Formats: sequence, C-alpha cells, structure tokens
Amino acid sequence: MNDTGDDAYYIVMEDVRKSYDGKKMALDGLTFKVRKGEIYGLLGKNGAGKSTSIKIMTTLIGFDGGEGSISGYDIKTEASRIRRVIGVVQQEESFDFTSVENNFKLSGMLWEVPKKARKERMEELMDLFGLQEMRKKRMYDLSGGQKKRVQVAREFMHDMNVLFLDEPTVGLDPIMRRKILSYIRKRAREGLTVLFTTQNLEEADMICDRIGIINDGRIVAEGTSEELKTKFGTLRTLKLTATENMESVAAEIRKKLGEDQYEEIDISENRITILGKKIDRSLGDILETLAGMDISIDNVSIDNPTLDDVFMKVVQK
Amino acid sequence: MKMPAFVRLTMRNIVVNIDPGTLIFMLGLPTLYLFVMGFMFQGINPNGGLSVVYHGIPVKYTTFLAPGIIALQAFTAGNVGGSMLWSDRRWGMFEQIMVGPFRRSEYLLGIIFVSILFSLIGSAIMIGFAFTIPVQFNISLAGIGLFILTMIVGTMLFSSLFLIISGIAKSMQAYNTITILLFFLLDFASTAFYPITNSTPEWLRVVAGVNPLSFISDILRNSFISGVDSSSLYYSGILLVAMLIFFGISLRIYKNIRSGI
Repeated sequence: MNDTGDDAYYIVMEDVRKSYDGKKMALDGLTFKVRKGEIYGLLGKNGAGKSTSIKIMTTLIGFDGGEGSISGYDIKTEASRIRRVIGVVQQEESFDFTSVENNFKLSGMLWEVPKKARKERMEELMDLFGLQEMRKKRMYDLSGGQKKRVQVAREFMHDMNVLFLDEPTVGLDPIMRRKILSYIRKRAREGLTVLFTTQNLEEADMICDRIGIINDGRIVAEGTSEELKTKFGTLRTLKLTATENMESVAAEIRKKLGEDQYEEIDISENRITILGKKIDRSLGDILETLAGMDISIDNVSIDNPTLDDVFMKVVQK
Repeated sequence: MKMPAFVRLTMRNIVVNIDPGTLIFMLGLPTLYLFVMGFMFQGINPNGGLSVVYHGIPVKYTTFLAPGIIALQAFTAGNVGGSMLWSDRRWGMFEQIMVGPFRRSEYLLGIIFVSILFSLIGSAIMIGFAFTIPVQFNISLAGIGLFILTMIVGTMLFSSLFLIISGIAKSMQAYNTITILLFFLLDFASTAFYPITNSTPEWLRVVAGVNPLSFISDILRNSFISGVDSSSLYYSGILLVAMLIFFGISLRIYKNIRSGI
C-alpha cells in the first residue's frame, strides 16, 4: 500500500537484519520510522551500519530478515517502484565523466524531467549551489568539495518523495555546508522526507527533526536532539576563567563542593572546567569560595550537554 | 512520448563518451593505421603494389588492410562499451544509476546499444576513408548485410569481453594492464593487418587462428573483396557461438557486481 497522507511513515524499518558473511551481523534488528517531511539523522561510528542501512533502503542490497518500506512501497517486493521515488547522495563521489553542466542535463534526461523544467532547475540549482562559474569545467578537474556540491545539487534535478543523504557535507566549506543544509531543510518543509547520515554531530543537531543513534546494527537511542540530551546528556559543564593561579582555586573548590557535587575538575592554565550533573546549582558555593580568596573572575559559563556527549555516552555503553 | 529507459541510458553513454580521447582511440588510430601502414607496407612491394593474394585474387595491400581496419571498429567500440561499466564503477555512477529508475538489464542494453552504434558509425567512416585511397572493393547486397551482422556480433563479443574485465578487475592498474595487453595481442596477432602465410610461425598462426578479430577481418574481406561464400557463413557461425559464450559469461559476472571499486 502506498499511503501518502501527511502523517504517513515514508521510511519504515522493522527488525531488519543483515549479515554479509553469515556470521557477523551488520544490521541486527534495525527498527525506526520516519514521517513524511521529517529529517531523520542516522548517527553512528564507523562500521555501525549506517551505509548498510542506506544500501538496503535504496534497494541496492537485500537483507536477511525483517521488513521495510519506503514511501509506502515494500523494499523486498517493490524495489523498482521505490527507485522511482527516491534520491540518493552517496558517501563516495559519483559523477559522469563530462562537464558539470552535462552532469545536470544527463541527470534530468535520465529521470525524464521535461526539457523546459530541466533547464530551469539546472539554472536554479547552479545559482543556489554556486556552480555557475564552473559549469563548463569537467568534473574530474574540480576539487573534492566542488564535486560534492555538484553531487548534492544534481540530485535535486528530479522530483522525489524520500532523499537519502550519506554524509553529504564532507569536504564542504562552512558557508556552503550551511547553504546546503538550509536548502535541505527548506525542501523538507515542503514535504520531502530526508534520511541523513553524518559524523558531524553539530550539523545533525542543527538540521535533524529526530535522531537515531545506531550501534552494532541497531538503534540504541532515538528522539529529538533535546530529548536525547535530556535523557543521556547528564553532565553540564561550568567554565571559570581568571587571571590567578587556578591550582589553589581548584583545591578550594574541591573542598567546598565535596565529591558528590561534581564528576570531574579540569585545570588548564587560567581556566577551570567542572563537570557535574547539577553543577549549575553549585555556582553560588563556587562564587563564594572565589570571593573568599579575593579572586576576580574574567568569565563564567555553564554549558548544556551536547549531542557529542550523548553520542559518546550511548555508543560507549 | 516517454523514452524507454535503455534509450535514455544509451543517450547518456553517447554524451559521456564523446570526448577527444575516445574519438582518437576509435577513429584516429584506425585512420592512421589505414593510411600510414597501408601506404608504407604497400611501398615495400616493388611489384606495382599488388602485394597480397586473397582467396586467389591479387589485391593491393591497402585493399587487403582496409577490411581489417574496419573490423577493428568492432574491437575498439566493444572496448569503449565494455569499459563504460568499469568507468561507471570507478566514478560511482554504476551505483547511482542502480538506485535510479532503471533495471540492470536496461543498463546493460544501454552499453551494448552504444557499442553497436559506435561500431557501425566508425566502420562506415572507415569505409569512406578506404575509398579515398582508393581500394578495390567488390560490394554486393549480401556483402553489406553480412558486414552489418558481423559488426554487430563482433562488437557484442568484444563488449562482453571487456564487460568481463570490468566486472572482475579490482583496481585501475589491473584494468589498464589487462586492456593494454589484450589490445596488443588481439590487434596485432590477428589477420587484421597481415595475411597468414607459410612463413608465419606456427604459434602465431594458432593465436591468429583463434583470435575473434581474425574471424571478423576475414568475413569482411569476403564481403568486400572475394564475395560471400560458405567460408563466410562458417566463420560467422563460429563468431556467433563465441559471442554467445562470452556474453553468457559477462552476464553471470555482471549479475554479481554489487558496488563500486
């Protein structure tokens, strides 16, 4: 069934299992769902199963057990239908050995985009991705980042329901990365469902509506960035900067707080970093200690847990 | 009207492969062979240029050489076609196309069609060049028919051969080494350039005798010089069987190709 309603799940993976050699499981009960128009970040360390999942969802390889559907089409039995409604930006470079312009034209032609629309889309994407100046250049002569830009932009030549992006921003400069991410966000708001893998957690935090952390072939944590931080990112960070000798300050703070109020105190030149679950509540005691030592503070900051903290905690469990 | 997928893939293959390098490989080299080798070797013979006797007919070396050069188009077009799979695997396009609205069989058809197209166009250009030399061709309708069929079957045979190499080569170095070796072996250890005579070493006769390029060259010589006869049909039959075997092997290997290199 191809349920295309607004609440429909456009990506469904249920207990998907896959082994390449019959012994080690690349995917071991992978389960997650993505709604229409949602950007879902699949995070995991190298070899966790991200690329295998994408290869299965894009029908490139089969799987041993479980079920899955993309845009309402069954992965096992309706692969050719799925391939008509998806876009894929692979992690590895992929391009036709010709000019940048031809790469766009060929993509449009292969996907049967009408000629007029093909030209309009090409110009729009070239403007948006800053490719106009290099349109006549051969792909082979472009830098890695430029090739990646073409690879991502070219995929938007055709209409699709679901877009799979396997580390699409590797090699891109920060400005272009932001541009591309905001374009992906815009398309998602228009209804495009996006599955996004990245090693850059800040990026995932910025763009993804929900995040699934994959480890050893299964989702071990899932939710919005905030939900994950609340659930797994237990340590907050308090940073103090002063011009004084911080060794003696740290010793006094340790004495004042007691070991149950902090996890770790780190001293680096004139800065103290204190990690603790509720370290913000100890701020008064810390300031009192410093005042008692007649030390003036240059800067105080309290940081919330980051996705990095969550990731480290979840995959190292 | 919607264009079938294999036609779109064929068109894509044409655009991707129309580059100076491919054109020089497909047309430039054979043209040089035709004119440079043709005139140089013909010049060696002091006997007014009537230097080769083919099926009892004395012909100039250039007339003998021209069908061999035309036959080369099947080899070069097959090479270009078969190498497309390698190139697509190398540059990530095989996987990219496989996640698009195409079947594997359509991708393969796209390669075979473009190879045959290149082969027929290339051989037509070579025939045109040959007439400027000029050559003493004796062309019949049956000869033209057999020429076209032979070029198609020959191109499919060589495409299959290079598809096999594209499917099994693990690195660019391995692929390049194998293709260069094959290029020299199949090109020069064949009857495309020289007639087999009593003074040809036995081992070389054996190699040339099983070389598909020799079969194609000799069928074309029959078509253009001595006329279509039973030997033409015999050679065509062998060529067809060889093509089917190579095509079958290439299909098996192709089915198991999973991803990039």
